[in-house]
Amino acid sequence: MPLTLLRAGEGSIITRIGGNAETRQFLEGLGFVVGTPVTVISVTAGNVICSIRDSRVAVSEGMAKKIYV
Amino acid sequence: MADITIALAGNPNCGKTTLFNALTGSKQYVGNWPGVTVEEKHGKLKGHDDVTIADLPGIYSLSPYTLEEVVARDYLTEHRPDAILNIVDGTNLERNLYLTTQLVELGIPTLVAVNMMDVIEKNGDVIDLAELAKALDCKVVSISALKGTGVREAAEEAVALARSGNKPIPQHRFVGSVEHAIAHIEEVTVHDLPEEQQRWYAIKLFERDEKVQKKLGLSDEVIAHIENDIQACETELDDDAESIITSQRYDYITSIIGTCLRRANKGELTTSDKIDRIVTNRIAALPIFAAIMFGVYWIAMGPFGTFLTDWTNDVLGGEWLTEGSRALFESWGLSSWLVGLLSDGICAGVGAVLGFVPQLLVLFLLLAILEDCGYMARIAFIMDRIFRRFGLSGKSFIPMLVGTGCGVPGVMASRTIESERDRRMTITTTCFIPCGAKMPIIGLIAGALFGGAAWVSTSAYFIGVAAIIISGVMLKKTKMFAGDPAPFVMELPAYHAPSVSNVLRSMWERGWSFIKKAGTIILLSSIIIWALKSFGTVNGQFGMVDELYEDPSIATDEYIESVAARTGISPEEVNPMDDSILAGIGNTFAPVFAPLGFGSWKPAVATVTGLVAKEEVVSTFGVLYNYDTDSEEWDDEGSPVWANVEADFQSFSNGHGQIAAFAFMIFNLLCAPCFAAMGAIKREMNNGKWAAFAIGYMCVFAYAAGLVVYQIGLATVGALNPIGIVAAVAVLGFVGYMLFVKKYHEAEELLVK
Repeated sequence: MPLTLLRAGEGSIITRIGGNAETRQFLEGLGFVVGTPVTVISVTAGNVICSIRDSRVAVSEGMAKKIYV
Repeated sequence: MADITIALAGNPNCGKTTLFNALTGSKQYVGNWPGVTVEEKHGKLKGHDDVTIADLPGIYSLSPYTLEEVVARDYLTEHRPDAILNIVDGTNLERNLYLTTQLVELGIPTLVAVNMMDVIEKNGDVIDLAELAKALDCKVVSISALKGTGVREAAEEAVALARSGNKPIPQHRFVGSVEHAIAHIEEVTVHDLPEEQQRWYAIKLFERDEKVQKKLGLSDEVIAHIENDIQACETELDDDAESIITSQRYDYITSIIGTCLRRANKGELTTSDKIDRIVTNRIAALPIFAAIMFGVYWIAMGPFGTFLTDWTNDVLGGEWLTEGSRALFESWGLSSWLVGLLSDGICAGVGAVLGFVPQLLVLFLLLAILEDCGYMARIAFIMDRIFRRFGLSGKSFIPMLVGTGCGVPGVMASRTIESERDRRMTITTTCFIPCGAKMPIIGLIAGALFGGAAWVSTSAYFIGVAAIIISGVMLKKTKMFAGDPAPFVMELPAYHAPSVSNVLRSMWERGWSFIKKAGTIILLSSIIIWALKSFGTVNGQFGMVDELYEDPSIATDEYIESVAARTGISPEEVNPMDDSILAGIGNTFAPVFAPLGFGSWKPAVATVTGLVAKEEVVSTFGVLYNYDTDSEEWDDEGSPVWANVEADFQSFSNGHGQIAAFAFMIFNLLCAPCFAAMGAIKREMNNGKWAAFAIGYMCVFAYAAGLVVYQIGLATVGALNPIGIVAAVAVLGFVGYMLFVKKYHEAEELLVK
């Protein structure tokens, strides 16, 4: 399911990154790689702040939908 | 010994600029959100005149996704510095090492400096530096850039490393099939490059990096040839080439982390996360944001800020600068024109601007605190869902917030926006927000014509925001800007107590650039304006208009009546200045502003001088209206100039001075920004046509807004102007059509540079 469906405080593991090559490459540079644990810190109208590889990254809904956990 | 260059490279917001300042003794601006440094900066290492330090923009990888990455990557591959000092945020080792693994492949001597060592120790974590050095095959040192510990040693190590020329040998190997393909690519494409550079290029070619393909000038046959190898790998590993490289890099990093890092805290929520839970909460986020912004502007613009400005204007501007200087110069026995130049020209013009400095410093201080503690980055996130509705991304908010201080850094802050379309839109609209230099204009109009009503300055911000929203929605529907804003992804720095030195430096830097302008551009143009308004031709005689008017044989009664008839005022109101060169210049283009209600030469001149710097509008008023001031003291009614401003606005607009003044303010807030900001727009657009479009758009929008306000204002007080109201309604109709009727032009593809 997409990252947007996790609730604040829930964690899971990334299973797939969608989107075009550019989007994927950018997400991967930030640490969003298949197999990486991710925890959602807060959700605001679909936009998500999550914790990944010890950093906090804010992701908009459009992008969060491309991250499957 | 030969001169050497050391490049500082690292993730955004990992402390490169702080380190750069510590190493070079320079005072570059340090911000607490990613992307403060947008182009490389150079400085000499303290104590080593032959060592240049280059501060590169923060990057996550060497892929060409954002402007910063392109700038940093080009610098590293084209200039090939003698050494790279890679700053690594120790509290976020895993993500930072992703860049490090790519840097060591460049074949340039590399020193890794683990930053924020103090925070790591406080958290109870342990990093095994020796193990890390072994895994990366480069020297590793620990520093705390903020506290300054280990910084000197790191610099000395880097210099020694650059002199030795010891290049790291990349320790990481991809899986067999990938290595096989890379070896083959090396063989057919980059065989003639120096050996240590081959691997990096080969990996990039494996990733199908178009910029590298172009740079190496590969023929289509060669590209097709290596494509076979890439596709074979992709089929075997069931993934695309880029993802293969990325995920294997991360696997490698995870293995390094396993041996080098021992964490005290495992997976619990940090304090920073707990704060985020509250301030980015679905329900509370916007109210908290609104309350904080209200607090900031209430302190800066409310009773406290006004008190500061009043004090500076009354005591410093009025008593000391203008009157004090006049008394002083007169006591020196200077001739009257020189006293006029010094006191009425320079001191009045520059003083009018300097009066706003204390208030601005308070605003800059508060914004700096918000930024340094980490909240500013959250604001971008919170605002994203609102901005998205009218075609901008949340990242557009930071340029705008910075723009409340000064439009130049505001426009420059737009560089962190990856999508070209969003960036252009942000650059075009950022200057609508009233910048610090426009505040004096608001203060002047509010003070002179509205009795200092607070709603005037509040409305200025609302008008700025409305201009952005309307422009966003309208532009989004044109072909040029079609499509959804790019998705928002941004790393958030952990909250921390603001550092006093950082906050003060940031406040001072923004404030100082304001003061500097007052001392240079405004000083110069005050002199020019003073000269243009003091000299002119009266009844055929050229000279200082004041003196010519005192001579009854030149300024005869008939002549004064002819001037009155020409300017459309009564003979008693004729002022010597109406014959000045400046009046002549102003009168030629004043008719342009007649539909906006200020078709008189003084506001017209002020509007044009506003292009030099927006503060100039006020200082021009200070010079042009500084006459007949019987009461030299600044009483509760404000500046003596204000009464003259009000009288003039009332007289040329037939008693509708307030409406005309409001239209004047709106036009000046929204029209083309100062030359400095226009220069920034040109630089950031990197395209003359787009810059011209942005500036032209602002002027047209400002003119339309002024027209609508003045004509509708006239109509509501019963002084309807038939042609004017038709034009105003036509403008409103067009905007309404664009906002509500016209359909979106969906973009066929996502625009990325």
